[in-house]
Amino acid sequence: MVSVSKNILRTILIASYIMLVALIISGVSALFSYLNTGADRSTMLHTEIQKVEQYLPKVTWAPLNNEGRPIDSQNLSALQNNYLDAWYVKQIAYKTNKPAGIKDYYTDNARENLFNFIELNKAQNITIDATTLEHHPTLEFYSEDGQLAVVTDDNVVEYKRVFKNDTLILETTETSTYKMVFLLEDGFWRTRHLVKENTKIQELDNAQISLNNFKIKGINYYPQASPWNMYGDKFNLDTISKDLKIIKKAGLNTIRIFVPYESFGKATVDYKKLDRLKQTLDVAEAEKLKVIVTLFDFYGDYSVLDWTLNQRHAETIVAALKSHEALLAWDIKNEPNLDFESRGKDIVIAWLDNMINLVKSVDSEHAVTVGWNNIDSAPILKDKLDFISFHYYESLDVLEEKYIHLKTEIPIKPIVLGEYGMSSYNGFWKPFGDNDEDQAVFHKKAQDIFKKHDIAFISWTLYDFTEVPKEVVGRLPWRKRAQEHFGFINKNGETKPAFRYISNN
Amino acid sequence: MQLKRTYLFILGLILLSSFTSIHSNTASIKLLTSQTDYIVGTNVVLEFSTTDAVQPMLYCSNSYGSTLISPTLENKKLRYQIPANIYKKVGVVNWSLIYKSNTLSGVFHMVPKPEVATMETYIGPPSIEAGGKDYTMLVIIPTDSLDNPVPKNTTVNAKHQFLASEEVDNIVTNNLIAFKNIYSKKESGRMLISSECLNINSKEFTINVMPAVPVDFEISAHRPHNYADGNQVTTFSTTIIKDKQDNVVSDGTFVIFYITNKSGNILKTSGTTLDGIATAKIIHPDYGDNWSIKAYVEGMSESNTITIAYTQVIEDFIVEFSKDGRDINVGPLQSFMQQMIPDGLQVKLLVYKNDILLEKYTKTSVDGYAHFYLKSDIFKPDNYNIKIQTAGLEKTFNNTKLW
Repeated sequence: MVSVSKNILRTILIASYIMLVALIISGVSALFSYLNTGADRSTMLHTEIQKVEQYLPKVTWAPLNNEGRPIDSQNLSALQNNYLDAWYVKQIAYKTNKPAGIKDYYTDNARENLFNFIELNKAQNITIDATTLEHHPTLEFYSEDGQLAVVTDDNVVEYKRVFKNDTLILETTETSTYKMVFLLEDGFWRTRHLVKENTKIQELDNAQISLNNFKIKGINYYPQASPWNMYGDKFNLDTISKDLKIIKKAGLNTIRIFVPYESFGKATVDYKKLDRLKQTLDVAEAEKLKVIVTLFDFYGDYSVLDWTLNQRHAETIVAALKSHEALLAWDIKNEPNLDFESRGKDIVIAWLDNMINLVKSVDSEHAVTVGWNNIDSAPILKDKLDFISFHYYESLDVLEEKYIHLKTEIPIKPIVLGEYGMSSYNGFWKPFGDNDEDQAVFHKKAQDIFKKHDIAFISWTLYDFTEVPKEVVGRLPWRKRAQEHFGFINKNGETKPAFRYISNN
Repeated sequence: MQLKRTYLFILGLILLSSFTSIHSNTASIKLLTSQTDYIVGTNVVLEFSTTDAVQPMLYCSNSYGSTLISPTLENKKLRYQIPANIYKKVGVVNWSLIYKSNTLSGVFHMVPKPEVATMETYIGPPSIEAGGKDYTMLVIIPTDSLDNPVPKNTTVNAKHQFLASEEVDNIVTNNLIAFKNIYSKKESGRMLISSECLNINSKEFTINVMPAVPVDFEISAHRPHNYADGNQVTTFSTTIIKDKQDNVVSDGTFVIFYITNKSGNILKTSGTTLDGIATAKIIHPDYGDNWSIKAYVEGMSESNTITIAYTQVIEDFIVEFSKDGRDINVGPLQSFMQQMIPDGLQVKLLVYKNDILLEKYTKTSVDGYAHFYLKSDIFKPDNYNIKIQTAGLEKTFNNTKLW
């Protein structure tokens, strides 16, 4: 009996000893392996650094006719990259008052000048948020040994926002000419001398483009199967062609479509998607429909250092479509006033202002507008825009009054109601919502007002959708459900009663 | 009456003061400073007259950056002290007064001063070719004491000395720099370069003017005797290799000698030049041969072809087999005066069975003999064909019985 209990004791002791040792070993090994984790050793070589496009102002080189040695394209592009990087680090340095990155792009002597400015501005809490939008460099000189270059950059368009104690003090656009000496040091083209030779505040002649009395009777268009993602994998030209036939047959003459910024590849536009956009316009042309192309859908940054990327995006798309017969106008941005609160009204307007300049500089023939989210915002930038467009989802009772008021405020420019409509959703999430008949009544009333005041209109939208992405109205189901039922044609492809009032003939 | 007048007076005053306040609301701030060009480094103060007590900030931007300046107000004058880092750099400075609709703006120029503190000099390439076609480029950036480039069209003297000549060229600054291409002369040598601007001199720079590519040359061969003893060394040497301007090529120019022998095989030896002459050595063949030799400075020039003959020294040799056929003695191997050939002559022994090469042994002679032993654990007792090769000769012993 005694020996049995002794054996049990012995077993328990040995077992607990083994367990304790195992526990300690596993603990130590876990600690050891934790200390051994970290960056992969291969990353020490920095072999995988990829160039990220972060600063892409429009650069137009003058024909090469420099003194000294002829330059080859590889060295010229290295010079250009380093020159633009020099601007970029300078903009960041003055925005943050920190000298990071300056050393790479300015020589020992030149960087002192920047450091002095940073020190001066930092002491007084002055920050400068700036970007350059255009460069017109001329290579003046390239030395025989390829180590020194002189460049004159004509008419650099600089946009600056000057802040003191985080309050915007001044917003200015200057065009300046700089002369620079670059030295090739440690593989970087570094600025040695920088001399501003002349400068003036930019003045643009604001040429107006008319719509030639074209009477817009339009509709905002997305295919039923791929709303807000028209040019993705579900892109189907037959569907679009069929839809546009319906639109044309209904007596409309215009569609408004959207170009999402990010999925179109941002600064480097995805040519496949651009081609699909072009094909859509081709189909519209075949149906004798005009198209308003709305740029920058789902974009919401507006920060000054992002502008050059935005502008390259717009430039590519505008240049590709500007001679298309079906194109009617450019809508710079859909409902940008929704971003006033989160991004700041002045920066959004400055962004729009500069984007309008850019679009007009690329395409001098087509009218430009901004699709304001409400009628109260419509007068913003009214002098700059070729026609005014606003969206209206409030009560129709006050539309007439508000429209007349707007018309007196902006008497000379065409005014377009860019979006309006009513959801016919009255399901679980909104039991007392409007039904299909209410929607028809709404559209009938709307058309009566349009007829009375000769209002150009673009309705929202052709179809009821089955899936609305969360980016459009958020995740809340009552919003999503409502957004799904704005169409003139329901989910089964049947025309709703409102379809009778899609247009006025 | 008196009272009425007083009232009128007070009323008038009120009216007047209200007008003044309207007047000051529309604010007349006017620029007083008329100067727009300043020598860089001079203190700049912009003065405005004002009718009001407002002290608007002044935005100011030069070549390197922008800032805001707060004024001091005294005697209805707004004084804006331009900061040192703006007035110490050349270039245009634009300013605008941030006041209401921001209509007051202008520019002034910080003009470079004709003064040089440092001569930043860049020269390259550091070595060029003689002959008058190649050149090096001298780039000078004269800068003043505030590290600004000097005015356009400032004269810079580019000086260079080469052999007996000393030259000074007047060049002018343009695009912030001055540059000059300095061409080589016919001769090779060392060129010293310096520059001067407004009595400030740069330091000295050296450019090596290297001889141009060599032209064709000739070669010769020297040897102690013309016997193919496989022991002595033949030395090839070139004439002095020169470029077309008669400059001796740089020391270390690589010359490669190609030797083609009687059977068309190519041997190579090489050397580098010293004072224009390259030498290369090669050991004599161990059998009679005819060599033709041609040398190249690869890709640039070549020599004539020379031929030399080597006389066979070993006419015949004796091979002795031991009783069991396994000990094989080759020799005596005798040279041209019947002396024992110096150690190191290659002797080969090849063992065949039914025309299949079983084994090959290579030995070098010692004291005129070479000795082979065919081990019994490799070669089982049988009949073998044995060949002996040396000094280009060959002897065959068929059906040699190994015990």
